[in-house]
Amino acid sequence: MTGDVGVLASGGCHLFSGCGFPAPGLQDFEWKPFFTIGSFSFTKPMLLAILAALVVIVFFWVAFRSPKLVPRGMQNLGEIAILGVRDQILRPSLGRKGDSYLPLLVSLFFFIYIMNVMELIPVFQFPVTSRIGFVWPLVFIVYFLYLYLGVKNQGAWGYLRNMIPPGVPAPIYIILVPVELLRFFVFQPFTLGVRLFGNMFAGHLLLTIFTLASWYLLSLSVGLLYAAGSFALAIFVFLLETLVTLLQAFIFTTLTATYIASSVEPAH
Amino acid sequence: MSSGNDASTQAQKRAAAQGRAQGLDIGWTVFSYLLAGMAAYGAIGWLIGRAVHVSLLFPIGMLVGLAISLGFIIYRYGGQGAVTRPSPEATQKEMTGDR
Repeated sequence: MTGDVGVLASGGCHLFSGCGFPAPGLQDFEWKPFFTIGSFSFTKPMLLAILAALVVIVFFWVAFRSPKLVPRGMQNLGEIAILGVRDQILRPSLGRKGDSYLPLLVSLFFFIYIMNVMELIPVFQFPVTSRIGFVWPLVFIVYFLYLYLGVKNQGAWGYLRNMIPPGVPAPIYIILVPVELLRFFVFQPFTLGVRLFGNMFAGHLLLTIFTLASWYLLSLSVGLLYAAGSFALAIFVFLLETLVTLLQAFIFTTLTATYIASSVEPAH
Repeated sequence: MSSGNDASTQAQKRAAAQGRAQGLDIGWTVFSYLLAGMAAYGAIGWLIGRAVHVSLLFPIGMLVGLAISLGFIIYRYGGQGAVTRPSPEATQKEMTGDR
């Protein structure tokens, strides 16, 4: 984190002390690199993404390294996690025949969730998915997977034809072709990525604004009252974000499951 | 008896999860349709407008695209709620015991 926020966080900047409120902005999503090799810079969001991946890998490896028929300890948690994704995300869209996609959806859900929840953990305090560069690779994985499955299961022509539901009159069909093509190939993956990024970006910005405002307004004046209000809002946004982090991972994975389902079988 | 209740609860949970997934899918598909309609016909309008030097065709194209999207959304998803909702007549018959 760079710029004015650093000045404020270092302690001196309060209401009536002569410095204006250093409002958070895009600069708070830029990080000084830990180290640089040539043109490659290793930054905090990268470290957090690697940590998130390690958390998911280590958790499921520990849970299932020697699985028992009657689960105990970590295996219990692991099974709850997997069954949760299976029953709440996979089965409603894909049914039993979609169980082969469970490893993908479980990995996707928990990887995104851990990256999101980094926002709320002290020291980390940054949602990795608020940097859109971390979201697009996930979107491309999903995008190419459902395109591949669609062509494999329905054939290239059948896949394109099935985008428009049957029963539409021929003139309307022609009018809809550009809309359907653009929706399917551009806006469907675009909204999948931008929603996750936008929610986490906005959430982090709100949290930063109210936290910094609480600190800035903290003074022996009327500002103390406003500081209390701002702090209450910071707590509220924090609680809201505990829900949003989970919800965004859920929505991304659920939509992935429904896109896979529409590729495996044409929509009716 | 309790196993019957469990099965019914499970079925309800499954139906709720299915409803959630379907709702999310439809919601975001509708949103994508609105954007795609405006972008597709906005682009067509812009291209024609560029050729005939009428810049107004770009916003007109966007509006036409929006109208096409809205029409198709109503055609495709508009009837879904009506299918599951009982008609007022049927409800009245039920309430008055007129079978």
